Amino acid sequence: MAIELEKVVETFYENLEKGKITGKRCTKCGAVEFPPVYACNSCGCWDMEWVEISGKAKMRSIVMPAPLSMKPEYKAMGKFAYGEIELEEGTLLNGVVRGINKKKRKEILEADALPVNVHAAIYQRDGFKTVVFDLDEA
Amino acid sequence: MINMTKLWQSAPPLFGVQHKLTILEGRETMNQTTVHPYKRSVSIIGVGCTPFMYTVDKEETNGLTEGELFGYAALKAMEDAGVNPQNVDFYFHGEASPLNASNYLTPNIQIANWFGMKGKASIHHSEACCTGYYAVEQAVNAVASGKYDCVLSGCVEFGDSLAVPNHPYKREKVTMERFLQTTAWLYDRAYTRSLMAGQELIYDDAAEWYKRTRGITDQQMDDTLNWMCINNRRNASVNPLAIERRTYESLAKEAGFDNVMDYMRSPYNPRMGDFLRASGLELKCDGAAAVVVCATELVDKYMGNKSHKPVEVLGIGCAACEATTPHFEVRATEEAVRQAYEVTGVKPSEIDIFYANDFIITSHLVAAEIAGYLPYGEGWKYICEGRTAYDGDKPINTNGGRTSFGHAHAASGLADLYEAVRQMRGEAGEGQVKRLPKTAMLRGYGGAQNICTYIIRTAD
Repeated sequence: MAIELEKVVETFYENLEKGKITGKRCTKCGAVEFPPVYACNSCGCWDMEWVEISGKAKMRSIVMPAPLSMKPEYKAMGKFAYGEIELEEGTLLNGVVRGINKKKRKEILEADALPVNVHAAIYQRDGFKTVVFDLDEA
Repeated sequence: MINMTKLWQSAPPLFGVQHKLTILEGRETMNQTTVHPYKRSVSIIGVGCTPFMYTVDKEETNGLTEGELFGYAALKAMEDAGVNPQNVDFYFHGEASPLNASNYLTPNIQIANWFGMKGKASIHHSEACCTGYYAVEQAVNAVASGKYDCVLSGCVEFGDSLAVPNHPYKREKVTMERFLQTTAWLYDRAYTRSLMAGQELIYDDAAEWYKRTRGITDQQMDDTLNWMCINNRRNASVNPLAIERRTYESLAKEAGFDNVMDYMRSPYNPRMGDFLRASGLELKCDGAAAVVVCATELVDKYMGNKSHKPVEVLGIGCAACEATTPHFEVRATEEAVRQAYEVTGVKPSEIDIFYANDFIITSHLVAAEIAGYLPYGEGWKYICEGRTAYDGDKPINTNGGRTSFGHAHAASGLADLYEAVRQMRGEAGEGQVKRLPKTAMLRGYGGAQNICTYIIRTAD
């Protein structure tokens, strides 16, 4: 497949406006790049196709926001944490997970419950939409 | 596709280091590079470093310029090497944020006439806080390739002040608001800033990872972070170039505490992160450092009657993980360390002294364990027992690290090298480690996130 100059970033954000969370899947090895980029980081192939991700994911680590890692606009998300996310498609990324405060983290860690199930959500920031995750209800 | 699970399961016999990664059912993939030995050996023959300072705070330093800082470090390195500037073929220039701090687009050219190398070619590079480590990588490559015989590599940074536009030398303190605004530029605009987590995890991800994978308690993690700061400060207290030399013991006493750890756990040392306290953050400041390297086969030609032994650069490993990558510092360090050991054949047990860019103090522990300098899961104990201070048996960051020596962002990596070489020559004065180190490992980190790790050894 020919390498094409493509507005991947704009398309990703436009898809979010349409309610779709999208990545790019490698046609050779099947790995999914999320967020989407030109080439596959697993096998190097650049023949990639758009794919809507399922939204199912797991949170593998939990870091709470603190003075250094907090911005005023983040308060609108309510209680949340940062951590390692593994999408159902296998992709790993750092993400925000809503629904976790220190008490909830303590419960999760004391129950040795990591990884915990989460699901992707579209979240409105100032001027654009992005992707966060929500803790699945038990 | 490289399967990291399989790779690291096979690692222990190769490196003699026990590695335990979070195994993700074979999904943990990261590209790797095979590093080859240099075409010819390269050695460090001269080092130079300014004091790290808040230049605008003192009359005697207020008004110092980029050329004056870089030029001082460069000439000190050339003097140390015994070379005349005209015999140096090329120079590398590092500055993390030249547009922001110096209003320069091509900072290497602006200082070109300051140290006797007018007309010599140069190049500028920035890898933010890892710049001073890539400064070594690039200089060594330039000589190892055979193109140049002798190269200078220097870095300068005004981390605590900004150039006053349209004035020839005045500077003003950088505000925290401006600092945070510009550090945001370290992160990918398209996705990472939007997704929010990548840039925020820099403060605490490594601590969370260490605590979880080693199975230690919150209190043990907190104590370990505090002890790293205490040890760093002890090291800085005997280093005349360090920016902060007051020990935490003395600060605790001044504040009315009998026990230094009570002070470290008190509001005098507030939590700034999920794990990180104020003491574990860099002291951003101004400074410069430089190194001269040459082909080892030409050491006698360049060093003349200098009596110190050259220090050979055995090998360098490099990796990078953009901040969206989970545990970016850990993953990239593992890969860079793997390359460095593989290409040099050096074993972790041969490393006598270790340096790690610790602008977030946790790096110091995490890097040392990944490198096998401290045993897996036991490093925190070594730190809490003071064994990693300059007078311990496993010295780390003997100059005081970023939390006490200071962090002049690009320059700090070469300041680490300056300290390592001085230690290896036995020239570190009051801060000299007990046993003369022969082999050192240095691990740079920064720029969201580059990793560069190299192994150096005193020539026989």
